[in-house]
Amino acid sequence: MDKMTSMSGKEQRKVLFRLMSYTKPHIKTIIIAFTLLLLATLGDIYGPIIIQRFIDDYLTPHHFPYKPLVTLASLYIGIQIFKVIISYFQIFKFQEIAIKIIQQLRIDVYSKVQTLGMRYFDKTPAGSIVSRITNDTEAIFDMFVNVMVTFIQGSFLLIGIFIAMFSLNAKLALFCLCILPLIFYVMVLYRKFSSVFYQEMRERLSQLNAKLNESLQGMPIIQVFRQEKRLREEFADINAKHYNAGMRNIKIDGLLLRPAIDLIYVFALMIVLSFFGISSFNHTVEIGVLYAFVNYLDRFFEPVNQMMFRLSMFQQAIVASSRIFRVMDEQEVAPIQQEQKQLKIVDGEIEFKNVSFSYDGKREVLKNISFVARPGQTVALVGHTGSGKSSIINLMMRFYEFEKGEIFIDGKSIKEYPISELRTKMGLVLQDPFLFYGTIEDNIRLHNKSITDKNIEEAAKFVQAHTFIEKMEDRYSHKVVERGATFSSGQRQLIAFARTIATDPKILVLDEATANIDTETEELIQEALEKMRRGRTTIAIAHRLSTIQDADLILVLHQGEVVEKGTHHELIAKQGLYHKMYLLQNGMTELEQSI
Amino acid sequence: MRVFIDLMWFFKQEKRPYILGISILAFVAILQLVPPKVVGYIVDEIKDNKLTPMLLAKWVIVLVIVAFAMYILRYYWRIMIFGSSYKLARVLRNRLFHHFTNMSPSFYQKNRVGDLMAHATNDLQAIQGTAGSGVLTLVDSIMTGGSVMIAMAATISWKLTLIALIPMPIMAILTSYYGSILHKRFHKAQEAFSNLNDKTQESINGIKVIKTFGQEKEDIASFIKQSDDVVKKNISVSRIDALFDPTISIIIAISFFLSIIFGSKLVINHELTIGQLISFTTYIGLLTWPMLAFGSIFNIMERGRASNDRVKRLLGEPVEIKDKPNAINETPSGSITYSIKSFHYPNEEKEILKDIYFSINQGETLGIVGKTGSGKTTLLKLFIREFEGYSGKIEFGGHSIQDYKMDSLRSAIGYVPQDHFLFSATVGENIAFTNPSLPKVKIEDAAKLAHIHDDIIEFTDGYDTIVGEKGVSLSGGQKQRISIARALIMNPEVLILDDSLSAVDAKTEESILKSLKEERSGKTTIITAHRLSAIKHANMIIVLDDGKIIERGNHEELIKKGGWYKEMYDRQQLEELVEHGG
Repeated sequence: MDKMTSMSGKEQRKVLFRLMSYTKPHIKTIIIAFTLLLLATLGDIYGPIIIQRFIDDYLTPHHFPYKPLVTLASLYIGIQIFKVIISYFQIFKFQEIAIKIIQQLRIDVYSKVQTLGMRYFDKTPAGSIVSRITNDTEAIFDMFVNVMVTFIQGSFLLIGIFIAMFSLNAKLALFCLCILPLIFYVMVLYRKFSSVFYQEMRERLSQLNAKLNESLQGMPIIQVFRQEKRLREEFADINAKHYNAGMRNIKIDGLLLRPAIDLIYVFALMIVLSFFGISSFNHTVEIGVLYAFVNYLDRFFEPVNQMMFRLSMFQQAIVASSRIFRVMDEQEVAPIQQEQKQLKIVDGEIEFKNVSFSYDGKREVLKNISFVARPGQTVALVGHTGSGKSSIINLMMRFYEFEKGEIFIDGKSIKEYPISELRTKMGLVLQDPFLFYGTIEDNIRLHNKSITDKNIEEAAKFVQAHTFIEKMEDRYSHKVVERGATFSSGQRQLIAFARTIATDPKILVLDEATANIDTETEELIQEALEKMRRGRTTIAIAHRLSTIQDADLILVLHQGEVVEKGTHHELIAKQGLYHKMYLLQNGMTELEQSI
Repeated sequence: MRVFIDLMWFFKQEKRPYILGISILAFVAILQLVPPKVVGYIVDEIKDNKLTPMLLAKWVIVLVIVAFAMYILRYYWRIMIFGSSYKLARVLRNRLFHHFTNMSPSFYQKNRVGDLMAHATNDLQAIQGTAGSGVLTLVDSIMTGGSVMIAMAATISWKLTLIALIPMPIMAILTSYYGSILHKRFHKAQEAFSNLNDKTQESINGIKVIKTFGQEKEDIASFIKQSDDVVKKNISVSRIDALFDPTISIIIAISFFLSIIFGSKLVINHELTIGQLISFTTYIGLLTWPMLAFGSIFNIMERGRASNDRVKRLLGEPVEIKDKPNAINETPSGSITYSIKSFHYPNEEKEILKDIYFSINQGETLGIVGKTGSGKTTLLKLFIREFEGYSGKIEFGGHSIQDYKMDSLRSAIGYVPQDHFLFSATVGENIAFTNPSLPKVKIEDAAKLAHIHDDIIEFTDGYDTIVGEKGVSLSGGQKQRISIARALIMNPEVLILDDSLSAVDAKTEESILKSLKEERSGKTTIITAHRLSAIKHANMIIVLDDGKIIERGNHEELIKKGGWYKEMYDRQQLEELVEHGG
């Protein structure tokens, strides 16, 4: 992803422009901050002028009237204090704006990610999404705080200094203006080389880290195949390349950064001194003006140094923003509903009609699936891994868009319901009961404010989670750590059940857990499942066939097709695939006869 | 300062660049004093009407020489000092890597890869910072600060110097005070950021739950709430951060003001010229940076010390499994005999293996089966000496495996681990891992033997296709077969397949086993498996349960016996039927 810096100037400008559009809502504050900055810069520039007055009007002629001097001194101190206060607020305001802009940027990417479809999450590693939302935005933060403020402040100061110089001595100021193109040229040169070298170093560093990471992970292999020496050499080689890239950076920094700017500074000083020296041959010059010029030069070069120093940061921010904007422009959105506002799910009848589906557009994982689940019925899906069970659920939950066939709920296409209606009326229990950081209560309620504490307790009682929750410290406020690691998998599953029951769905979609659950909880879970199914249309993936013997319809899937269909007894009588699966799970007694 | 003593070995080793760099730095510090001085002289000469074109030309030439000298010298000390610090990082990085390659798995159980990575990156960076910017800051602040003060006191006025310096300590105190508050607040801001990071991570991982309950909006709201916290904490950092610049500038302004007021008095009394006063004020500007730098130096050194200690501790971890003195330097061959009374992993109570006694002759195949966690892999790991410390003995070719040099022992073993790890390199390079210089024919032979050749030539770049994170994604079965080819290419005395055929379909498994039998006659093979078809043909099969051998014999014997093996075999026959859709 570091290759991104090969963006053309035009693309970079486009990214920058888009980034800058984020300053719009803060325009008022920005104007205030700019005004403060302007005032502070004025103070900065006015200081040397006062001293110049003092030197030329009073010190040189040795003339010291009491009152004007006190005024001058108070003016100087006053300006300084005023400037300190103002510049504090100005610096603070700019940082505040930057912080808020970053927050907005974060919220925008985050909100965008929430609208993306499961396909996007399938193809993008979670780590990289998180990185876009947090780390990349952080890199931009650096740009806003450091680069932008440095550049704005620097430019203000430079302009101000030149105005002051012109007012003091236009001719000399004009001479000094000559150094601007020189500085600009050095800047361009530095940017040109450093962007290449800096990039190289970053790439070498990421290679180095990748090599190290991979070697650490593959260390058993390296050792058992006795390749330690070779890997050490390879690592040393990359390390050397990284070192060389680093040295090139030191060199380019040494040639074009601070030393170069300092060189220009001395040249500027030479111009000023020569100017005054030469004019002094013909007439007297004002020492104070000379002082002011020298002083301005001193102040002039610090911002230039700072700006040069920040250039690479700017580069990185552009790369980071372009990555963020790419997520914001992502087309892989969640399936879109052709919404009919008033449509409600009342009975919960589900019908699949000739549904075919493919994740990649090539290989069909579901072929021509048709079945009906009448209101209140349970339809069980069984089959080997990869048979297409989960895909059926994925389509029903509208995680993925399908093209062929149709799914009807209460006789209307699933695509016509408002998504919120589908979400509230259909409860999915995932195989992996994902728990969030927080409390048990939070995990049952999630963000749904309409669920009361009483509802939560009722739901927990209903799925028989109440008993173990009661025994825990702080009961429903018991802390849930990351991923609920302190709970047993059975307990996690029960909490997830309660979460679904709390919303009282009309349709239940179960992806049954296969995890090793202790027998005691296993029983609880089975009882809970049975209770949950009562009065609800249920589509269940079953790994344990014993749990779905009472299902109204069992679909046996193989390679995306329904190969057998019927009730438990019908299928057993058929002596087909289901029968074999059943035997496999239910002791070996009958097994021997069946082979 | 302790960190500098700790790093003394390196400074000694890099004596020349450091001494040279520091000398240049000192010289530059003195050269810096010239331009302000020249300004002062010219001002005085103008004022006294003594400036002649010759004199002016002289000063300009002085400035030109000084400017170029400074430019070149500044360039060189960077190379000397920063260059050396880069070298230090490079040396330490190589050392760490070397050390890592010597450590046995128990080390990797104690230290997670992520932590080791952090040491090799962040800690080395901090050490590099100490040896580079740390040395620079220390030397430069002392040199520049010192020489400026001396120049001010000696060539202009010591009285005025004292007066002008009065506010400076206040700046040092204030900025270091801000620094300590900033540090705390920054820490909190980092914490808020990392909470936000965790929240994001969790939501992305739990995206399905969020979508299921249709809570995208609510989740965004909670994200906004968390990000508000980040904003709050960051703003509190800014409140302090914004204090630095104004504080410095007001202190400098006060110092200026004092210099001008008291300097003027001296000018009136003819103790000072105006030119000197102007030089003096320029010098005050030069003092800012050393003052600030001196405040930050403790921070840099503290970080460097902590990091250096961590790296030192890591490098100090002893190598656990070493060659004996006079270890046998020959590749072992012959029969393998296990006589292990008991084994448990270091720092763990649970016994993993108990009373393991068996022997196989050269050229035979051993099959090991048993439930997950029954000790199959551990049994193999002892043979390749990833772990030691068991009571008992493993013999190979008549000698204990501990009597061989590690290198010799492992040269006899082709190991295919359970978690088929491939490197981010081409398929060909992965197969020729033990010897990258092997000709293509050999690589292809090994691939054919592992029945992966046909798959490989289907890839877009054939054997040059990159695998791993950035490359083509391979199926588990393909990865396993590449791992097998990697082990086969060395034509090992003993081939170990640790459940390495699990992701390969039954037919391919059968063909691989058949080719192995043909190609590896006279050589020993050890196979562990869940699927019994993989070990059915073995000369001897042992069934492990809870670290003990519960059944042993060949396939027919075990079937006849009617125990665990038989039950498992029947089950798997049926499973296979189900998999194939009845």
